[in-house]
Amino acid sequence: MRKFKWSLLLALLFVVIGLAACGNDETGSNADDTENTSDNGEDTSADETEQEEVNLRVVTTMAGTDPAGEVFQQVLDDFQEENPNIKIENDSQSADAGTIRTKVNTDFSSDNEPDLMFYFNTVDADGLIEEGKVVNLEEAEGVDLSGYNSMLEQQRREDGNIYAAPQSGFYEGLFVNKKLFEEHGVEIPTTWEQYEAAIEKFAETDIVPIAASTEDSYYVVEHYILAAGGMENYTADLADKKEAWSEGLNNIKKHADMGAFTPDAATIDLALAQELFKQEQAAMIFEGSWFWGQLEEAGMGEDVTVLPMPVYAEGGETGELVGGASQGWFISTKSYEDEAKKDAVVSLFNYLTSEETIVKIAEATGQPPAKGELSDLPDYLKAGHDLVKNAPSVALPINDRIYPESFTHLRTSVPEIVSGDKTGEEVLEKAVEMAK
Amino acid sequence: MKGDKLYIFLFLAPAFAVTGVFLYYPFVENILQSFYKTDGFFNSTFVGLENYVRLLNDEIARGALFNSLELMLYVTIFQVGIALILAIMVNSITKGAGFFRTTFFFPIVISGAAIGLLFTLIYNYRNGLLNEMLVNLGFERVLWLTEQSSLYMVAIPTIWNYVGFYFVILLTAIQKIPNDFYEAAQLEGITGMQKMFKLTIPLIVSDLKTCIVLAITGTLKIFELVYIITKGGPANSSEVLGTYMYQKAFQDSAMGYGATLAVLIVVLGLTLAFVTNKLLQKDEVTY
Repeated sequence: MRKFKWSLLLALLFVVIGLAACGNDETGSNADDTENTSDNGEDTSADETEQEEVNLRVVTTMAGTDPAGEVFQQVLDDFQEENPNIKIENDSQSADAGTIRTKVNTDFSSDNEPDLMFYFNTVDADGLIEEGKVVNLEEAEGVDLSGYNSMLEQQRREDGNIYAAPQSGFYEGLFVNKKLFEEHGVEIPTTWEQYEAAIEKFAETDIVPIAASTEDSYYVVEHYILAAGGMENYTADLADKKEAWSEGLNNIKKHADMGAFTPDAATIDLALAQELFKQEQAAMIFEGSWFWGQLEEAGMGEDVTVLPMPVYAEGGETGELVGGASQGWFISTKSYEDEAKKDAVVSLFNYLTSEETIVKIAEATGQPPAKGELSDLPDYLKAGHDLVKNAPSVALPINDRIYPESFTHLRTSVPEIVSGDKTGEEVLEKAVEMAK
Repeated sequence: MKGDKLYIFLFLAPAFAVTGVFLYYPFVENILQSFYKTDGFFNSTFVGLENYVRLLNDEIARGALFNSLELMLYVTIFQVGIALILAIMVNSITKGAGFFRTTFFFPIVISGAAIGLLFTLIYNYRNGLLNEMLVNLGFERVLWLTEQSSLYMVAIPTIWNYVGFYFVILLTAIQKIPNDFYEAAQLEGITGMQKMFKLTIPLIVSDLKTCIVLAITGTLKIFELVYIITKGGPANSSEVLGTYMYQKAFQDSAMGYGATLAVLIVVLGLTLAFVTNKLLQKDEVTY
C-alpha cells in the first residue's frame, strides 16, 4: 500500500513537472528563436543574408467571407516561391464582429505583434501609433510608396506621418433596384425631392422603400447627415454639434413616419435588411461597395445601380461620397528594427503594395484599387468606380473618426428618435458628452 | 493522516492553479480595470471611482439591471415551475416516459446561438414563421418585437432552453422517493393533488431549492439569446447586464466601464445566491 502511494506521488510529480516543462519549453523556444534569429541576423550581415530562413507573420482581414482571401493566399504563395528563405504565416481573420480589433490589440500589447498587418488606419490605430508600435512609412528605408493615387494621401495622420499604405478604396451609396423602380413607374432618385417621392410611392405598395436596420443604422445615419449638411458639415468635429447632424437624425424619423422602413426595422440586423433587398422585397438600401459581391452572388448585379445620396443642404452637392480607404498595410516597429527580419519585411511590403498585387486583389473584390485601374469591369461596377472618380469630395465614415461610444449612441438611439422618445438634438448632445 | 493531507494538497494543486490563473487573476485584473478609463490595451487613464459614479447615473445600466431582475423572476417561476409540473406528469405515466424525457430535455443540447437564430426567424415580421401562419389563416401580420414586448419575447426561448435541465433534476429527485410513502398515503385515502402538495413537493424541496438558486444565478449569465434576437433593443428595451457589458467592453472599446459592469454582475450574483440560500434554508427532509 505504502509502495502504491509513493508511485502515485511520483506519477503526480512527473505530471506537474511535465506541465511546467511544457510551459517553459514554449517560452524557452520562443526566446531561443528570437535569440537565434538575431544572432543569425548578425552573422548573415557578414555572410550570406539570402540563405537564412526568416519567418514572418501577416495579419489581415482577408479571410472568412472576404472574396480577397483566396487571391491573397495565392499572392503569398507566389512570394514564397520567389523567396524560398521566407516563410509566411497567414494569420488573417474576418473583419466581421470587430474581433480583429481585439486580436490586433492583444497581439501588440502582449509583445506578439505581427510583422506586417492590413488593418484599419482609423481611430482604431490611434493607440498603436501613439505607442510607436508601427513604422512611419515615409521614413522607412527601402519602402516604396511610389505610384499611389490620392488614397495614399488620405492615410496621412494628424501628426503629418503616413503609417499605412492603402490596398483599395470603398464607397458607400444608395443601392437602387432599377427593375422595381421601372415596374412601379418610380423615378430613380437623383434629388432629395425624387428620393422622398420614391419613398412615398413605394410605401403605398408591398415593396419596402428602404431596407434598413435602425438599430444597426451605420450607413443610414451617415447618409442622412451628409444630405442635411453637405460635406463641410459632415466632416466637422462631433464637438461642433452641427445643426445638420441633428437635422439628419430627425429626417430619419420623418421618413420612417412616411413608411420608408419595415415596421420591424428596429429589431432586424443588417444581414436581414440585406436579405430584404436581395429578395426584391425592398427597392433601396444604403450599403458599401463590398455589397456588390453579395448582389452578384444573388444574380442581381445588373438590376441594381448605385447612386450618391441626394444632398439638399446649401453649399452641399449631390455626388459627395462617404468612402475612401480606411485600411492599409502597416509594418510593426519591432519587426522593422530586427536586423534579421527587416529586409524580408520591407521586401514583402513592397511586393504586396506593388501595382500588380494591388490590382490582382482588387479584381477579386471589385473595389477601386489604390494603384492602377481595373479593366473589363461590368457596367454596374464601373458606374461605382466612376462615382468615386467624379465625386467632388470623398470622406471617411463618421465612425472611423469619432469616439466609438459616441457613435454607438448615435446609431442605437435611432429607434428612439423614430418612436419620438428622443430628438436628434438630444441624441447629439449626449454623444458629445460621452466623448469627453 | 499527515500523508493524506499531502495528497489532498497535491491533488487539489492543479485545480487551484488553473482556477487561479483563469478565474481569480482575471477577476482581480477586471476589478483593477474598473478604476481606469481604458480600451483595455494602450489608452489607459486612472479615474478612481468615476466608472462607479457613472454606473449609478447610467439610465441604460439601470434599465438593464431591472430587465435582468425581471427575467430572473420569469425564469425562476416558469423554468422551475414548468419543469416541476412536467417531472410530476412524466413520473406518473408508465408508457412513453422515455420519449417525453428526451423531448423535454432536447432544447438543452441545442446551443443558445442556434436557438436565438431560430427565434429570430420565428419572430421576423415579413417572412417569419408566426406571421406566415397568421397571413395564411387570413390575419394581419403582427410586430412581435416592440419596445413593450421585447423582454417577454426573449424570456420565452430563455425559459424553453433550460426547462429540460431542471426537469431532469426534479424527475430524478421524484423517482428517488420510496414507493412505500405513496402506498401508505394511498391507504390513508390521499388524492392526486394532495399527493403532489403534501408528499412529493415537501420531499424534493432541497432539490427545488438547488434549482431555484441555479435559475437565479444562471439568469445573470444570459447573453447570447438576447444578443441574437434583439441585441438588447429596440431602444434598450430588452437590454440585460450581459449584453450591455459586452457592448461597452468590446463594441465601444470602453473596457474600463465594461469591467465595472462585470463587477456589478459578480456582486449581484453572489448576493442573490447568498440571499436565496438564506431565505430557502429549511431542514432537510430525509426518508
